[in-house]
Amino acid sequence: MVHNSLNPEIRRLPEIIVNQIAAGEVVERPAAAVKELVENAIDAGATAIDIAVRDGGKAQISVTDNGHGMTPDDLLLAVERHATSKLPDDDLVLIKSLGFRGEALPSIGAVARLTLTSRTADADSAWSLSVNGGKIGKPVPAAQGPGTRIDVRELFYATPARLKFLKTPRTEANHISDTLERLAMAHPGIAFSLEIDGKRRFQYWRPANDLLDNDAQLFRLAAVMGQDFADNAMTIMAERQGLTLSGFAGLPTLNYPTARHQYLFVNGRPVRDKLLFGAVRGAYQDFLARDRNPALALFVDCPADDVDVNVHPAKTEVRFRDPGLIRGLIVGALKHALAEAGHRASTTVSQAALGSFQAQSQAPYRTNTNHYAPRGAAEAVAQYFAPPNTGTAVGIGLPDLDAGPSARDEPFSEMTSGEAQDFPLGAARAQLHETYVIAQTADGLVIVDQHAAHERLVYEHMKTAMANGDVARQVLLLPEIVEMDEAAAGRISDRAAEFAELGLILEPFGQGAVIIREVPALLGQIDITTMVKDLAEELAEYDKALGLKDRLADVCSTMACHGSVRAGRRMQAEEMNALLRDMEATPHSGQCNHGRPTYVELKLKDIERLFGRR
Amino acid sequence: MKFTIERSTLLKILAHVQSVVERRNTIPILANVRLEAGDGMVRLTATDMDLTIDESVAADIGASGATTAPAHLFYDIIRKLPDGAQVEITANDGRLDIVSGRSVFNLNCLPAEDFPGQGDGDLPHKFTIGSAELRGLIDRTRFAISTEETRYYLNGIYIHASSGDDGGQKMLRAVATDGHRLARVEVELPDGAEGMPGIIVPRKAVAELRKLADTTSAGIEISLSDTRIVVSFDNITLASKLIDGKFPDYERVIPTDNDKLLAVDCRTFEAAVDRVSTISTEKSRAIKLKVDAGNLTLSASSAETSSATEAMEVDYDREAIEIGFNAGYLLDITQQIEGSDAELLMADAGSPTIVREAGDLSALYVLMPMRV
Ligand SMILES: Nc1ncnc2c1ncn2[C@@H]1O[C@H](COP(=O)(O)OP(=O)(O)OP(=O)(O)O)[C@@H](O)[C@H]1O
Ligand SMILES: [Mg+2]
Repeated sequence: MVHNSLNPEIRRLPEIIVNQIAAGEVVERPAAAVKELVENAIDAGATAIDIAVRDGGKAQISVTDNGHGMTPDDLLLAVERHATSKLPDDDLVLIKSLGFRGEALPSIGAVARLTLTSRTADADSAWSLSVNGGKIGKPVPAAQGPGTRIDVRELFYATPARLKFLKTPRTEANHISDTLERLAMAHPGIAFSLEIDGKRRFQYWRPANDLLDNDAQLFRLAAVMGQDFADNAMTIMAERQGLTLSGFAGLPTLNYPTARHQYLFVNGRPVRDKLLFGAVRGAYQDFLARDRNPALALFVDCPADDVDVNVHPAKTEVRFRDPGLIRGLIVGALKHALAEAGHRASTTVSQAALGSFQAQSQAPYRTNTNHYAPRGAAEAVAQYFAPPNTGTAVGIGLPDLDAGPSARDEPFSEMTSGEAQDFPLGAARAQLHETYVIAQTADGLVIVDQHAAHERLVYEHMKTAMANGDVARQVLLLPEIVEMDEAAAGRISDRAAEFAELGLILEPFGQGAVIIREVPALLGQIDITTMVKDLAEELAEYDKALGLKDRLADVCSTMACHGSVRAGRRMQAEEMNALLRDMEATPHSGQCNHGRPTYVELKLKDIERLFGRR
Repeated sequence: MKFTIERSTLLKILAHVQSVVERRNTIPILANVRLEAGDGMVRLTATDMDLTIDESVAADIGASGATTAPAHLFYDIIRKLPDGAQVEITANDGRLDIVSGRSVFNLNCLPAEDFPGQGDGDLPHKFTIGSAELRGLIDRTRFAISTEETRYYLNGIYIHASSGDDGGQKMLRAVATDGHRLARVEVELPDGAEGMPGIIVPRKAVAELRKLADTTSAGIEISLSDTRIVVSFDNITLASKLIDGKFPDYERVIPTDNDKLLAVDCRTFEAAVDRVSTISTEKSRAIKLKVDAGNLTLSASSAETSSATEAMEVDYDREAIEIGFNAGYLLDITQQIEGSDAELLMADAGSPTIVREAGDLSALYVLMPMRV
């Protein structure tokens, strides 16, 4: 948490501290200047900060806050190097504010035309001070309400070399926007707005006062990361040895090609740290394909002396005293949340499905708002088609579902609506396109992707079996000889002992071949040749030093994929219900190994909405 | 073409042939059944290119000729006509008119010339086998046919004449295996089958043949080359391509010196296996057999800590053994055994076990254990 110093008296830093502070450019691009200015405003206790930039920040940056302001004397000190009000104990180890070096304003003042205008709460007027290319002017009275406004014009005009390295105004503006988003996420209690070339980019409101901390945070994350994230976020909360981890992590079904939507904050400071990405990857590896990434925002709070923020002048890197502890905390908390959410498929998925259903219904029947037909007639028609309005689920007669040749008919009738549908995933009613199982639940319907679901189940069962060290193996009556290139065969044979633990018994067979004698029984009848070749290919990508166990998830996935019910296989009614029951009993079965949902659920009220009945 | 026929007569043969027709067809003519009238007979033919069924029946022929009509539609129409009705069928001008009582149907036809021919070719080997024997060969082996498609040569029943090298009589053998278990059933070698090549009859042909074999008690005539088989009896002909592949040398995997003989009452054993394996939900359904003098204990457990055991008395006097199996595989085999006594011949927990009916040497099943 940021502790604002309520006593803005500015003092000169002793020499020792000055030397402790790493030298370097504070302001490398406009976004860095914006960051410094906004952090100052935050340190000043502002509750609303408005930022406006022109020409990517090169022409102008202004930051206006409603913080505690500065007196004319403060103004003069503020622009002097290493003058700060924020290191009360002269102890760099105990940094609690965002700023502490007293070098941001002087640095900006040295390369731009800087104007500070400020008024403290108890002063009757504001004062303004200008610095041009390092030359400090005199404070003059100005008109302004309480708070501070910093204007930076012609950034880098005094250092043309730096100016040349700037990207297009659009790129620089995007950097500014990114920077501000992160700051806004870290400070949900402060309102932020950004205007670029006179156009409003965003406005993040302060949450209502009665929101609890957690909800306020989610409110802000929703504003920045999108409502999708908020709807599919799991709450993260963990504590260990004085460290607190909080925040939100997206369900695996909400995933992206890059790690761009992963945010880490340490003591309120946005940081970019590889540690986060590694930990996130580790926690989600069972749920996501290697090239997909979840979205999350995590907040670490730790005693100031557990973390060194003074690694880089831009303060985006941090150094933890015990990185293993942080990593463990993050991985553990994420895994825990994922386990709890195992059955929550992303609502975005069913939202999207719903959306497309709705798109179809746009066509000819727009009955809910405009009754073009004479009223009486429309109602009569509506009643004629309406299912009996009993308020509970209406048994779906299978023949009606039998829309095309690929829908199958099976005698499902003996399953009454009462029993099986009380299960969370309901009672199987039909198989469509030999790929999807449709089940009726107490308050809606569930569509299961049979291949994805089965793959997940095999994977989870394998994992459990391996953890218990008892993988049942089917001995092969006809051992299978798999031929491949010599290197691949070598890679497989080298790891025969490890594969044995996973239930795959093999030996080298001459050059460039292996012979498979036993396979994990729960894979059933599989295409052994292809599976072993796939494994060989994967081994090529693994680090030789890593044991297969470390890549268990990958290996299991590959095997599970081969042992699963492929899409396009007919299933008997009992087989479908067994699949549903197995899914309910198995943790994490809401997503397949690649992070796609294994089933989606449509609530009756969603279906009713589709038909305009709500 | 014009003929009149009794509805149930037509329905019966139509039911036989239309089941070959795939529901989804990219080639339109393959969705059709070919009808040909002449010489007091109507002949119906359907094919999926690999498998062709052809059946004739006597009818009152008004005009000879041939055409093709949509198989499933035609079948559905005839099925819905009242029992005992007379049906008059006329082809003219690319249409098939079906008239029965007051019902009139007009179907779109495709010309008979476009219907794929049968390309008979030479079928040098011919023999006749009793329908009961043929049913026996199929019934007791088909459960072991592999469904995994990469080893396509296991997707059928291998039929060949045994060499008699072991000094025994030459037999006609049917073998199927999915790589986990194997079934081998034999009958006396029919006359004319001595020189036959080993053939692999694909699963779909096996299924259709099995259905048709129920309709007769007559001898079934089999003609074959090494690429085709033609089976005929009564007025039915079924012709199928054979799987072009080499069936593995299965004899090598059948153990000859398994000496741990366990004799069980087959029905009691079957019921116990079924009960105990209820506990394991997974596909592999592992079950463990623990045998020592006179006693068999079946046990199963699931990953989630549930477990089950059942003990039964058996005939066993060899050293104690513990061996695991896939319960589903075990039941598949016991279901083939009709008599009351079954025998398991074991070697050890990692080697093939033979299962057979006591006193019946015609069928033999090999089951690979599971290591649990
Ligand atoms: N918006 C503001 N409102 C009130 N005081 C401010 C504001 N901006 C700057 N100050 C004062 O000016 C001082 C100098 O600011 P500057 O950003 O240069 O240094 P800093 O924030 O102390 O450290 P750092 O260089 O790490 O940012 C601050 O210590 C603070 O007292
Ligand atoms: Mg500062």
